Amino acid sequence: MAPEEDRPPFFKTWSGAYALVLGWLVVCMVVFAIISRVYA
Amino acid sequence: MKPLDWAVLLGTLAFIVGYGVWKTRGIKNVGTYMRGGSDSKWYTIGLSIMATQASAITFLSTPGQGFEDGLGFVQFYFGVPLAMVILSATIVPIYYRTRVYTAYEYLEQRFDLKTRQLTALIFLLQRGLGAGISIYAPAIILSTVLGWPLTITNLAIGALVIVYTVSGGTRAVNQTQQYQMLVMLGGMAMAFGFVFSKLPEAVTFGDAVGVAGVFGKMKLVDFSPALNTRYTIWSGLTGGTFVALAYFGTDQSQVQRYLSGESLTQSRLGLLFNGLLKVPMQLMILFVGVLVFVFFQFEAPPVIFNSTELNRVAASSAAPRMTALQAEYDSVFAQKSALVTEWVSARHANDASKREVTEGALRAAEIKGKAIRSKARALVAEVNPRASSNDTDYVFLSFVMNHFPTGLVGLLLAVILCAAMSATASALNALGTTSLVDFYRRSWKPDVDNDSALRVTKGFTVLWGLVAVGFAIFAAQLDNLIQAVNILGSIFYGPMLGVFLVGFFFKSIRGTPVFWSTLLSQALVIAVFASSDIGFLWYNVIGCGAVVVLAFGLNAVMPQAKAGDAAR
Repeated sequence: MAPEEDRPPFFKTWSGAYALVLGWLVVCMVVFAIISRVYA
Repeated sequence: MKPLDWAVLLGTLAFIVGYGVWKTRGIKNVGTYMRGGSDSKWYTIGLSIMATQASAITFLSTPGQGFEDGLGFVQFYFGVPLAMVILSATIVPIYYRTRVYTAYEYLEQRFDLKTRQLTALIFLLQRGLGAGISIYAPAIILSTVLGWPLTITNLAIGALVIVYTVSGGTRAVNQTQQYQMLVMLGGMAMAFGFVFSKLPEAVTFGDAVGVAGVFGKMKLVDFSPALNTRYTIWSGLTGGTFVALAYFGTDQSQVQRYLSGESLTQSRLGLLFNGLLKVPMQLMILFVGVLVFVFFQFEAPPVIFNSTELNRVAASSAAPRMTALQAEYDSVFAQKSALVTEWVSARHANDASKREVTEGALRAAEIKGKAIRSKARALVAEVNPRASSNDTDYVFLSFVMNHFPTGLVGLLLAVILCAAMSATASALNALGTTSLVDFYRRSWKPDVDNDSALRVTKGFTVLWGLVAVGFAIFAAQLDNLIQAVNILGSIFYGPMLGVFLVGFFFKSIRGTPVFWSTLLSQALVIAVFASSDIGFLWYNVIGCGAVVVLAFGLNAVMPQAKAGDAAR
């Protein structure tokens, strides 16, 4: 696979794209934990 | 159902099936049939992956779970984004490098033929049964709604899926799934808006969430370390990740979706797209169920949502007892409804002490209501011992049929059927491919030519379709449908993932130790399932861990074969 073919859009490496997905999961979990606490 | 509903339902289905057949007509190459021509873009792969996982069960049981237990089930999906990243970084590049058609093909390259065929066989058994449940779930609903005989409905749904899956293979499955997923997302978003609009005018979105919170429905995250609590953040992040790794990484019905990608980049992006959307999508579906629960705080709910069973009781000698239970339930509802209205007024007036008093009374009334419902369920079981013991699968459908406007009923039924078709199509496509690649072409007829291979794959796909329909006909007595599918998956997925993990990361371990450790671990998981009440998500961890540990142990004690380790 040529290197230019295997690069995510908007990021220089795949680590950036992975960080975006994992960051999104963390945001979801934090927001969910806050909602759970508020309505406990 | 009104004519407009029929038009929406049949129009949607005809378009999707017709489009799938037309767009993929004339495929002559067996490679294209199995990999879809390797030209799929990331959005097709992403939507196709989502549509494969989203079966009809997702749209029937999940709102029911939201209604009954609240939003906590979303924790099960916390493992999906994690798994998507791990797979994109590790396993997907290996599949691309080794140019395999099936995930199990890789295992022969790494271990030996018997390990490849054992895992392929586990997949065929598990997915064959899973496909049956995917057909059965909407069939039972349609038979309830339309009064069709269940067997004929199973056959009709099965036949519809078999037609386009057999005709166009992977490309037909991927192409149709894009549109099926759009119908599902659009339909559920409209359902969400509509359920909210049915709440009384004075009730704001904040009020609805608050009312749900009073009844514990807004508990999204549970930090409890108890192993027998089914959905916690810990079981979601560990068990959920394991099940997602196993499902997306080793289940051919998913692997086949992203192996159809134009490039490794497109496949990785498709998986990450799923990682971003999965949690919010599941939350929205669960939230629809929670809103239905809030709706039934203002409008009297039936004591039993399964109208077929309710009618059966009404026609039996137990009818007066059910009438009495419904009257008792109505009186609890009247009390609860007044309290909820009071609670909403107290919230608007910022009166915390009044809210607190009302909340206590509301929770007490809820317990009373639940006790009446469980008596009603017992009565249903007394009249018909074969009746489904779980009424929650009927909550959403019952709400759709009785409260949705004309047109939207047809759309929601189309959502359910699209989901059933998309999940079943991927399964049949993968079952046909695995049967050809891992058994027929590998062991029975290695020199099969292209035309015969294409015919045989199509034949296997039809055969698996018939097996799935057959199983669907016998699946009528399973408990809550989504849990049945997840439990079934968790029993098989742990050992399966263990084999692949050993293959990818522990290069010193040979084929025969892995083969025996897989069999022993599978037996261990089945024993745990039969003899303990551990939450089923942990089966994945146990099965996977057992394969890794046993493989290391057996690798150390078993003698190494002289000429490699392959047993052919």
